[in-house]
Amino acid sequence: MSLTRSSLSAIRGKAVVVAVAIATISLAMQAAPVEAATAPSRIISLSPSATEILFGIGAGKQVIAVDDNSDFPTNAPHSKLSSFTPNVEAIAALHPDLVILQSTATKASAVQAGLKKLKIAVYLETTPNTLDQAYSEFTDLGALTGHVSRAKVQIAVMKSKISSIIARAKKLTGVSIYHELDNTLYSATSSTFIGSVYKSFGVTNIADAAATADSGGYPQLTSEYVVSANPTVIFLDDGAYGESPTTVAARAGWSGLSAVTQKHIVVIPLDIADRWGPRLVDLYTFIANSLTTVASK
Amino acid sequence: MMTSGFISISDASVRLGGREVLTDLNVQIPHGQWTCLVGPNGAGKTTLLKALLGVRPYAGSINDRGQEVFGNQNRNVAFVPQSPDIPQGMSVAEYVMLGRSKKDGWGKESSRSRTLIREILEQTSLYGMHNSYVTQLSGGEMQRALIARALAQEPELILLDEPTSALDLHHQISVLNNIELLKARGVTIISTMHDITLAAMYAQNIVVMQAGSILLSGSSDFVIHSPELRAAFDNRIDVFTLDSGRPVVIATKDGTNS
Amino acid sequence: MTQTTNSGEISRIWNWRITLASAILLILVALAAVSFGPIHISFLEIIKTLCGFNHSASPQDRTVILQLRLPRVILGALVGAALATSGAVYQTVFHNPLADPYLLGAASGAGLGATIALTSTHHNLTALLPLCAFLGGVMAVLTSFFISGKFFAEPNTLLLSGIAVGSFATAIQTYLQQRHSDALRPVYSWILGDLTSASWSVVAWSSIYIAIALVILFSISKQLDGLMLSDEEAFSLGINPQRLRITAVCAATLATATAVSASGLIGFVGIVVPHLVRGVTRRVTNRSLLSIALIGAAFLVLADLGARTLLSPAELPIGVITAFVGAPFFLFVLRNRRKVDFS
Repeated sequence: MSLTRSSLSAIRGKAVVVAVAIATISLAMQAAPVEAATAPSRIISLSPSATEILFGIGAGKQVIAVDDNSDFPTNAPHSKLSSFTPNVEAIAALHPDLVILQSTATKASAVQAGLKKLKIAVYLETTPNTLDQAYSEFTDLGALTGHVSRAKVQIAVMKSKISSIIARAKKLTGVSIYHELDNTLYSATSSTFIGSVYKSFGVTNIADAAATADSGGYPQLTSEYVVSANPTVIFLDDGAYGESPTTVAARAGWSGLSAVTQKHIVVIPLDIADRWGPRLVDLYTFIANSLTTVASK
Repeated sequence: MMTSGFISISDASVRLGGREVLTDLNVQIPHGQWTCLVGPNGAGKTTLLKALLGVRPYAGSINDRGQEVFGNQNRNVAFVPQSPDIPQGMSVAEYVMLGRSKKDGWGKESSRSRTLIREILEQTSLYGMHNSYVTQLSGGEMQRALIARALAQEPELILLDEPTSALDLHHQISVLNNIELLKARGVTIISTMHDITLAAMYAQNIVVMQAGSILLSGSSDFVIHSPELRAAFDNRIDVFTLDSGRPVVIATKDGTNS
Repeated sequence: MTQTTNSGEISRIWNWRITLASAILLILVALAAVSFGPIHISFLEIIKTLCGFNHSASPQDRTVILQLRLPRVILGALVGAALATSGAVYQTVFHNPLADPYLLGAASGAGLGATIALTSTHHNLTALLPLCAFLGGVMAVLTSFFISGKFFAEPNTLLLSGIAVGSFATAIQTYLQQRHSDALRPVYSWILGDLTSASWSVVAWSSIYIAIALVILFSISKQLDGLMLSDEEAFSLGINPQRLRITAVCAATLATATAVSASGLIGFVGIVVPHLVRGVTRRVTNRSLLSIALIGAAFLVLADLGARTLLSPAELPIGVITAFVGAPFFLFVLRNRRKVDFS
């Protein structure tokens, strides 16, 4: 058989296609974790955020129990396990193959050690301080549960939504905010997660001036300082403890604040305030809306 | 059984808190007899007693059977304080039993000890309340409990600080009688006493002290009628002799010689 | 409760049978504690595993018994014994029935040491948390001795110094916590005290120090009775009260500091258990120290069992249990004393 020039180039073309196909497939297979074949099917989540993430990336069916604080999604398998004071034996009694534990849980390292002795895999979840750190939990959980691509997609969707939210809200200038954690005036600086959210909108956080007072990012401010800083918007994260625009306005010396007179006091809804799952988009939307109503006045 | 020998005190001085409380004491206290220290408040009687016990450092010498007494726990000495620390929650029997720790060793209760304690409790009329707590005792009962504990120790020397101050007359006599019984066993008795009449009744020797010094020491008869005794009390005492020959010492209102 | 026997003797002040009964009680309580927990394991399997027959129980059950429950029970027994004995010794030395093992600032000092470890930027320090707590406790007590000046072994002065040192350490600790809010939860949970971090390695080092301290205290326990009298009386009975006090306080502090560094601050045991034993036996002699140690051990093991199981699957702080169990027990014993002992 004589190889004509055209048939040679045709073979070369097909070879290239086949080579590329093989390369892509093998690359894809490498990206897919080896665990995909042995993904955990009895997951216990002791973190409300992790619960939301697991169900968001499609691992919901692999979850056998979630802690008593995980209230979203509502169809998650609730249990009486505690996220704050986990008990090794109680967890082990359910025979899980993966446990997601908050590093801020009481005696987390001891609980992790105990579960390790019982040969139960543990993912120690640290509280993120930035959006990227939050995304990395999606990636980690995706890898652990065999939903890598789903996790990637989730992250990409969230990223684009959040950037467009921020872009749309970028008309803010000279806006300062005060984020309140409780009525003794604990606040959050830009080094915390919620602080980073505000920072991405380009507003000034009055708590940053007190950043050195607490290495964890939660300094306690004084009334005098808040009054003199006169923030444009006040965000209340202590609505659950009875704080509201009315109670804030009634505080001694606060009645003259522009946020009080212009009614720029916002109560952050409870269930999006301190979670970092897929509903982060809702948090950004809420804050963007609150800020744009201010700017438009 | 008579014990011979003396406790020799030569040129002994004691400083407390930077102040000299006892100055250059010189006296011989005979073994096997009862010696009483008398004098006004602040004379240093209790300090001397504690020095004899061995818990006060001193300049000079206090020598008992060839050994200095400071820090010396080889002797079997019983100490009966005037106002004791009263342990809470302890029964009288337990309290008196503590006295046996010198003889038996701490924590051991021999059968003989337990018999002895019972006898002593009966002797001091405490047997009826031997299950009561020490804190429930009246002042007089507490005093008797102290004596009982000292008796339990079967000591060679017993030091008593005002052993009758809290007692009614009847018990004063019975306690002092109990102590006197020790003399028959050759125990040396040294006590401080406010009541000089009682001192004269029981003690063979009296040491008169004033302001940290010894004015006079000697047999009771000799000391009772001496001018030094009167001087120690700024001449505010009177000494009478009853028909039986017993001396009685009482205080007077002003400092005139009688 | 002393009666006379027929031969006219006072009956014994202390009886070795009481100590034996305490030991038996401890063994029973420990067995119960290893047997119960959120994972149900049959009693027979537990006995077999403890005796070394490995075949019957599943690997997970075996791990639960030998790696989770057993070290925890043993640590609970050690800490309970240490705290109860120290409490009893302090009560004798300071003539104070309300004294507890944390009296001389040991608790605040250990808390400060733990806070420094937990708030430090050097994460190696965090792993050394027990050591820091231990050093903090010991240094606080030493400081109390030093600031007492030449009165350093006098009970009342030492007490006051301890209060001063304790307050100071607490103030520093509060300041550090305010500046490092992320360490608040770990510090608070450490202060509440629990035995969750019990493992064989913790049991190993804590048992050495606690054993040394307890052996010293048991060996001087009989002479400690002399400290209930004035110094002169004690001297006359053959004791050196100053030296005895120092030895007792040092050994008790060693026991307390070790207990605190292993398990945080567990309250009530040190005050209640000595009174429990004294109330039931109607004796205050320090010959009861061994019994007090055994009952303290049983008490804490029982309390820990409650902490693990009562609100399962959450863990209760053990300090809550010791108070809940200790307080009524204590009142019961007080009311049943023949006459109220006030002085």
